[in-house]
Amino acid sequence: MTTITPNAGQTASQASDMLATVSSDEQTLRVLLKPHLSVRQALDTTDLRVRAACGGLGTCGACLIQTVSGEFNPPTLAERQKLLPEDLAAGMRLACQLRPHSHCTLYLEHPAPHSAWKSLDPTQLYHASGNPAISEHFYGVAVDLGTTHIRLSVWNRQSGRRIGTRYSINPQVAHGADVLTRLNAERLDVQDCRRIGQQAREAIMDGIRDILSRDMGEITPVLAALGKVLIVGNTAMLTLICGNSGDSLYQPENWQSPIVCLPTDADAWRQIWRTPHADIDIAQPLAGFIGSDLLADLLATGITEQSQPMLLADFGTNTEIAVWDGTNLWASSVPGGPAFEGVGMRNGLTAEAGAICKVSASGLQTIGDAQARGYCASGFIDAIALLLDKKHLKPSGRFAEPPTEQGFLLQADVPKSAIFASDIDIFQRAKASTAAAMAQLLALAGLKVNELDRLWICGSFGQHLDLNSAFRVGLLPTLPSERISLLANASLAGCEQLLLNPAGPNLLNEIVQRARTINLGGVFEYENRFIDNLRLQPMPIEEFQ
Amino acid sequence: MLDAYIQSYNQAVFETDKPAALDVVNQALSDGFSPEDIVFKLVIPAVELMMTLIEKDPDANLAQHFMTAQIAADVTEKMLEKFSKPPEMIGRVVIGAAYGDLHSLGKRIVSGCLKSLMVDVVDLGTNVSAEKFVDTAMTENAQVIAVSAMMVHTATSEKGSLGVRALLQERGLEQQIKLAVGGAPYRFDPELYIKVGADAWAPDGVTAAKVIVDLIREVKP
Ligand code: B12
Ligand code: FES
Repeated sequence: MTTITPNAGQTASQASDMLATVSSDEQTLRVLLKPHLSVRQALDTTDLRVRAACGGLGTCGACLIQTVSGEFNPPTLAERQKLLPEDLAAGMRLACQLRPHSHCTLYLEHPAPHSAWKSLDPTQLYHASGNPAISEHFYGVAVDLGTTHIRLSVWNRQSGRRIGTRYSINPQVAHGADVLTRLNAERLDVQDCRRIGQQAREAIMDGIRDILSRDMGEITPVLAALGKVLIVGNTAMLTLICGNSGDSLYQPENWQSPIVCLPTDADAWRQIWRTPHADIDIAQPLAGFIGSDLLADLLATGITEQSQPMLLADFGTNTEIAVWDGTNLWASSVPGGPAFEGVGMRNGLTAEAGAICKVSASGLQTIGDAQARGYCASGFIDAIALLLDKKHLKPSGRFAEPPTEQGFLLQADVPKSAIFASDIDIFQRAKASTAAAMAQLLALAGLKVNELDRLWICGSFGQHLDLNSAFRVGLLPTLPSERISLLANASLAGCEQLLLNPAGPNLLNEIVQRARTINLGGVFEYENRFIDNLRLQPMPIEEFQ
Repeated sequence: MLDAYIQSYNQAVFETDKPAALDVVNQALSDGFSPEDIVFKLVIPAVELMMTLIEKDPDANLAQHFMTAQIAADVTEKMLEKFSKPPEMIGRVVIGAAYGDLHSLGKRIVSGCLKSLMVDVVDLGTNVSAEKFVDTAMTENAQVIAVSAMMVHTATSEKGSLGVRALLQERGLEQQIKLAVGGAPYRFDPELYIKVGADAWAPDGVTAAKVIVDLIREVKP
């Protein structure tokens, strides 16, 4: 049973969405407001957050914001209690109570101090029913420790209430964009290794504190009542956070076999976190390079409970792919390469403000409508699709006319829209390794693309992705959009289920029992598929019939 | 006389269009050209042309390298079976992916280019120990050991090309057997091949074939 609602095909904005222009003295943002979200909730997902010390109930009064123009809901009871009538008359409101009825302009005089943490849209996360049997230490935390991002949520496990969600860049990125470079850094000296692991622990606690301070207004007592922390992630990240050496991951023998990730110093860890009662639990990875984040994806999507064949891909530095044939699961991972996270490209960016996230014949669109600073993966894929359509680029990956030293400028007056031949080459490799892996796993399972009942795209990669562009360049098999589901926070949703659903661990176990891990390094046809898939064209038709 | 074929074959290879390239070869065969002509006048010149093109053109991409090598190797292999007498080989190379490394694609391109240039290739596969490289090179009388490593740690490990160098030294084979390396880490650090004790490296398969042929000629004039 799936209790979450993925985005079918596209994350289109709706007519009922209101556009808010929000300014502070430092920046101006344009934010789309969904009708079910307050202004605070919408801003919590951006760089410009209001101050807050309660869960948005209107009890702390910290989230003051000035309305400048537009129509809004009338002041709530909480606002009339917290704000003076003259302030209300002057347009002051509490952002957590405020819902615009038209496009609007807002001014934020005292934004929250800058932080890397942002809230996630909870509509796609897990819905828990609560567990009255939990009588003490009833807070719990679910963590998805990704190579590039950390996502987490804090829960009242007893009532099943989610207190808050956050995501941020993993500070370990500073040690190397890809998993091995990070392990390599660790390999150089034991101190370094510890430090990198410590850094992830600190980051997680920082995120927890951000939630507690903003969404509950108290920290220490809640930490003292924290009973469980559950962490999913890829094998390398889990190895590091446990304080283990990554040496075992270098051995090809371990690539396909389970690797045990257990904290070496659980007591010290609890002490530093000031969570004396927290059971810190690591969801064990499937194999050397298939993490428990993939298992969490599978749990969240409920694929393995279906009788229909499905394919799941979690794009990232390490792209994990699983094919479910109705009985068995075929799982593998490929180095999608930091290419999908914008690293390595001359004008590559992660999906952050200023990243070109959509490209069409009519122009470029950036995240937050900010000035273009480079491409994130979805924008780059759009750009390649457009260049192919316009015949500026050939399926071989070469430009019809060699670009100048400035690269191929997609928009003449935007220097950061330049694309270089080497970027295309890097992308082709990443694309080929991913598409070939999908085709290979399907072949092993004896399935054709058109037999797939559903294709799940997990991870934030899918957030801005234009499916037609992805089909056009051959990154995804061409399927009708109603058979494609995007689930940005699948790993966290699965981790939440594991934390809160008493049946979770059993479900996980069943998935593990059904899983066959495939080492593509040992599959000869994979090589041929890789070569075939280097071409920038829709996936070869043989994979379809 | 092969001119028309040469042009369309080169075009197909350049555009990484394998079916089109194979069509040209089949057409030439059915038009009565000999397998020898096809290899020596069509395929090898195309590889050599790609070498010069790629040298001049930093934008040549992986797909093109692959196609050049792949098509050349495929066609050569098929044609060799049909040769009236076996061709003379330039020399012999033992190739494989370094210990701990399962990336086999890089060496595949290199092998493809070598084969089409009439170099005998003994492919040891992936995850190959230094001992196996050297032992095989000795029993097979190879002039060159070629070690492919796609990851930093497999390129720099004592069990990789450093290990091969140590064994060559130990067994006094350094004059008879040369060591070539390649793979992603070498492309990031062009000095790396010296640090791992290699005699030469190359950034791509087409150049690799040239570099390795040069090494063979050093040992076997
Ligand atoms: C395809 C691929 C795979 C495939 C390999 C399939 C196969 N049968 O080969 C699979 C999925 C199995 C794989 C696995 C892994 N991979 Co991998 N892989 C790649 C990828 C995308 C392409 C590599 C490739 O085959 N290129 C094609 C070759 C032909 O191109 P090339 O490297 O440029 O080779 C040319 C030259 O170097 C030269 N050359 C090559 N060899 C030689 C030898 C000689 C003697 C000479 C002269 C020249 C020469 O000629 C070649 C042809 O032009 C790269 C990314 C990239 N951008 O390179 C990552 C990459 C190499 N992988 C990487 C990683 C981390 C892994 C994994 C650990 C992780 C994972 N989850 O998958 C595992 C490790 C498995 C193991 N123990 O070996 C990292 C290495 C990072 C690092 N710091 O070292 C890379 C760089 C991706 C990344 N940025 O994260 N991988
Ligand atoms: S009153 Fe709005 S967040 Fe507390």
